[in-house]
Amino acid sequence: MTNKMIIGVYDDEGMLMSSIRQIQEKGFTINDVYSPYPIHEVFEALKIKTRLPLAAFLYSTFGMLATFAFLYWTSVVNYPLVFGGKPQNTLSFVVILFVMIINIGCLFTIITFFVREKKYPGVKPEILHPGVTDDKYLIVIQKDEKLSKNDLESINTLLKNNGAIEITEK
Amino acid sequence: MYKTKIRGVLIKGNKSYRQITDDIIRPIEGKTPRWWYIAMTISTLALAMGIWAIYITISQGIGRWGLNNSVAWGWGIINFVWWIGIGHAGTAFSIFLLILRQKWRTSINRAAEAMTVFAVICAGVFPLLHMGRVWLAFFIFPYPNTRGPLWVNFNSPLFWDVVAISTYLMASATFWYIGMIPDFATIRDKTKSRIKKALYGFFSLGWIGNARSWLRFETTALILGGLTAPLVIAVHSIVSMDFATSVMAGWHTTVFPPYFVIGAIFSGFAMVLTLMIIVRRIYKFQDYVTDSHLNAIAKILVFISLIMGTAYSTEIFIAWYSGSEGEIYTFFHNRITGSHTKAFWTMVSCNAIIPQLFWFKKIRSSIAMVFIISIIINIGMWFERYVIIVTSLTKDYMPSNWATYKPTIVEVGTYLGTIGIFCLGVLLFLRYIPMMAMSELKAINKETS
Repeated sequence: MTNKMIIGVYDDEGMLMSSIRQIQEKGFTINDVYSPYPIHEVFEALKIKTRLPLAAFLYSTFGMLATFAFLYWTSVVNYPLVFGGKPQNTLSFVVILFVMIINIGCLFTIITFFVREKKYPGVKPEILHPGVTDDKYLIVIQKDEKLSKNDLESINTLLKNNGAIEITEK
Repeated sequence: MYKTKIRGVLIKGNKSYRQITDDIIRPIEGKTPRWWYIAMTISTLALAMGIWAIYITISQGIGRWGLNNSVAWGWGIINFVWWIGIGHAGTAFSIFLLILRQKWRTSINRAAEAMTVFAVICAGVFPLLHMGRVWLAFFIFPYPNTRGPLWVNFNSPLFWDVVAISTYLMASATFWYIGMIPDFATIRDKTKSRIKKALYGFFSLGWIGNARSWLRFETTALILGGLTAPLVIAVHSIVSMDFATSVMAGWHTTVFPPYFVIGAIFSGFAMVLTLMIIVRRIYKFQDYVTDSHLNAIAKILVFISLIMGTAYSTEIFIAWYSGSEGEIYTFFHNRITGSHTKAFWTMVSCNAIIPQLFWFKKIRSSIAMVFIISIIINIGMWFERYVIIVTSLTKDYMPSNWATYKPTIVEVGTYLGTIGIFCLGVLLFLRYIPMMAMSELKAINKETS
């Protein structure tokens, strides 16, 4: 397998979408699509999903349990301070619990986002086309051994017929 | 999705995506205007005054403030609550409108989030100084210690404040930064300056805009939005409980949490309006911050103003209905009439009466009037906090406790200093950060222009 890829450059969202549909109808696999803003139809067409909401739920649940354990330990076990004869394991813990669910949920979700995306300060971007963060859309198809010469030609034709303003290989 | 024409055009001028990019990064790529240097100088002077006041407070103590045994909370807490209120703008705007799928947020959310971050930093200065010995401020955090071990009081609203506000600052700042990553990447790819390319490249974290990144980006924004929206309610409810859980007349009331939350959103929206009118004029952004945007904010303000009026009336009614002498005295003889009448009626006029002018379309479409009323609301909201804190504390249940309160130059200086911090932050934001979310503008461009 080589690292080479075919890149179709578009300047219109409608053309990009019709191109994606036709390429998929012909049975070719699109590796990635680049755009200057999020396009929900692209997510659906490429069938990509994320488990971030599940992760956020788990983090928040962990946040709640960990905070309750901490509050219980400090207020009931480690230093049970009596004030006004009220129970140490009190309902007013709910405020701290509520805020810490949000705190830990947010913090860990953000960390997961950066880790999964491999986004750190100083990461060198692999820029396939200079206009992709401005006004251009890209369809990227991996050139692997399974694709015959005829396949490559028909991919090129498909990209071109659907309004690609530029077709490059990298 | 159901589409309505009620909102009008959100991006005028049938712009191409490249035009949007060029327009938004123009202030960053262009020459620094002279007014910016003048504004920076004034803000730095205000900050210098603040630094002097903070130095005096730390080196000589809280005794340099105008506080006394009866009025133990003065300008420090008034300004703390005022700034926190303004700090609600970003989240109210950005997150509530995001989860409600309101497209008109796109031109304004970035500036509103910036305001939030700077306002919350300003707010944090006051309780920190009010502790007296700031170098021991870490005592407020629950950490293993050799004093018992003695833990903080987890049932105290003052501790809830620490947790809620630090969480709010963390969530707002990261939400703001994550939203900027794609825009930093755009500047990285557009700019010709090598320094800017390196700097924005560093902060864009290698963003390239592929589909999976966009999906995760949007999902993270929604999760942060969904988690932070209840936090907005919690933060100001907790701030209100600093007052409501005490037994002071005028404070000890169950209406405080919703009244404070809505008041905070009121002042935040007003501050967003003030800022956006200035930005749109200076940077000629009339195509992005359209009359339709200003109209929408004005409509929200008139609605919130009605709620504010209802809250004020409820407090007064309950004070009378309770039959409690202390409550009746505070509301009827120390606010509506008495020595704090001016402050009380300024509050009522600015927050509940004058914003009613927004019922008239003519007023809503006059930029000058909208600008003036937005400033009036912020003045009114400052007086609201003054009325709550000072009237109740100066005359409590025991006349032998009664005292007067006047702020000293040190308190005024600290306040001016925080205004300096806020203005400096906003000015740096206007100069170095794309003040509108380009990727979001592009996403709504086709259907709303």
